[in-house]
Amino acid sequence: MDTLNKIINWFTDGSSNKLSYHYFSRKFTPMAFIGPALLVMAILLVFPLLFSFKLSFQQWHMIEQASPFWIGLDNYFELLANKQFWNSFGLQLLFVVVAVSFELLIGLLVAVLLNREFPGNKIIRALLLLPIFILPVVSGLTFRFMYNPQYGAINYFLKLIGFNSIAWLSHPETAFAAIIIQDIWRMWPFMFMILFAGLSSLPEEPYEAAIIDGASRWRTFLHITLPLLKPTIMTAIILRTVDALKAFSEIFVMTSGGPGNATTLLSVHIYKSAFKFWELGYSAASSYMLVFIAMIFTVLLVRNMFSE
Amino acid sequence: MHKFKSWSRWKKGLFFLTVFIILFVELFPIFMVVTTSFKPKLQIWTSKSPFELFRPTFKNYLQVFKDRNFAKYIKNSLIIASITTFIALFLGSLAAYGFARFKFRGNFLLSMGVLASRMIPPITLSVPIFILISEWKLLDTYFSMILAHISFSLPYVIWLLLPFFKGIPASYEEAAMLDGCSRQRVFFSIFLPLVAPGLVVAAIFTFMLSWNDFLYALVLTSSRAKTAPLAVSEFIGQFAPEWGMMTAAGTVFLIPVFIFALGLQKYIIHGLAFGGDK
Repeated sequence: MDTLNKIINWFTDGSSNKLSYHYFSRKFTPMAFIGPALLVMAILLVFPLLFSFKLSFQQWHMIEQASPFWIGLDNYFELLANKQFWNSFGLQLLFVVVAVSFELLIGLLVAVLLNREFPGNKIIRALLLLPIFILPVVSGLTFRFMYNPQYGAINYFLKLIGFNSIAWLSHPETAFAAIIIQDIWRMWPFMFMILFAGLSSLPEEPYEAAIIDGASRWRTFLHITLPLLKPTIMTAIILRTVDALKAFSEIFVMTSGGPGNATTLLSVHIYKSAFKFWELGYSAASSYMLVFIAMIFTVLLVRNMFSE
Repeated sequence: MHKFKSWSRWKKGLFFLTVFIILFVELFPIFMVVTTSFKPKLQIWTSKSPFELFRPTFKNYLQVFKDRNFAKYIKNSLIIASITTFIALFLGSLAAYGFARFKFRGNFLLSMGVLASRMIPPITLSVPIFILISEWKLLDTYFSMILAHISFSLPYVIWLLLPFFKGIPASYEEAAMLDGCSRQRVFFSIFLPLVAPGLVVAAIFTFMLSWNDFLYALVLTSSRAKTAPLAVSEFIGQFAPEWGMMTAAGTVFLIPVFIFALGLQKYIIHGLAFGGDK
């Protein structure tokens, strides 16, 4: 602590001298607090990002080439013409849209359902949170285990209600549904938690007015609860969307992108092109497309935060 | 809305049935992990029903910890996550204080930059970080893993703490400064004790973020610095999936999760919601 104080003192006035306090505190004190973090982020975030931006204009097959060479926009042209890229791009968007909508729907329904005083409410809410904190790799592997056509638990339940067992991870459509189901299972409680916190902090007065007016429960929900909850819902959607864009490990251990390319989301595509085919320039270019999508949602989040 | 007590028996019954079904679906995979970890191998591969009775065995646990040396990977994970959490929390709390308490040009832009960097998918950074780390000959070291983990946890910490810090009234600090305290003394002896609960939340979540990481472990480590999540994934090979070992390791991971989710519920809500809330 002492050395740190000295360093900070060196950056700032370091004395109780009024004059220098006024002068320096405006100019340098904020930087003494923020500077170290900014420096670290510049080295660990900005520099790698710029490095990969440069890389996206180069060709570098790490195994065959000693060093990269410039090819201009070729990686981007290749990417735009690459069916596999567009396939991954589409799968990524579909994954995010389907998973997040279901999570929102289930989370909202359960939040409304549980938003009352009943015996055991606290322990039930706590238990519902458990899936969020499970290691994604363990979640992915456990679902892979449960999807197994011979001894998997999911097929046991399917047979119980009279369906045939399905080799979930061996067919393109069911494999894609399987990774979405895993994501919904693990993350709808996240939506629930945020929406529940939002619901329980809503003001009472509009509801009292609605009761006096004799409004039906459904109309009350539609015209009072939803509009009041809208900012919370928006925040929850955007946070989950950004997280769903990061999904990698659970999908990688469930299907490694297969069968074929049926579950090769953009993140898996980038991983494969970099660390399986060693096309580093191409993978840098495609990772910038993912950043681009993430930034759109960031802008939405910022606008949502400041529009209240 | 809150008239539960006045409900009829039928309505209450229906309500609890729905709650039970939801809980069953959410907890079933966890039940699978725990029970499978105590099952003999043969029974895992032949069992017709997940509720089949079995004679519990510790063989899977023995295999995980004796044959596969799992304790070493847990140790690696703990070391990497602890150091990452310490550094990210230290730098992050200083920065969040700076953003929350000072008016200066670029404050808004810089804090938006921090938010934006929290949104960047780690896969994007994994390629350049891998190249740089391998050029610096630092592959498979704790150091490289800690660097990589700080890259995503530092913006996260700042963004988690910022709204929390802003909510603390500045009057204490102003009083102390009028008495002649320097800014840094105000920060360390007055402000930090005030925000201790927030720091605990941030520490837990940062630790978890680093602990959960699989991508960087996959890209940057091979044996010496290999972390627990990567080791778990290797139990499931292409041909003979070792479900017993995977679930045994998974059960070990569940213990802190249980303590955490059941014991610290009100902190969790804060941590989850403030990931980007105002």
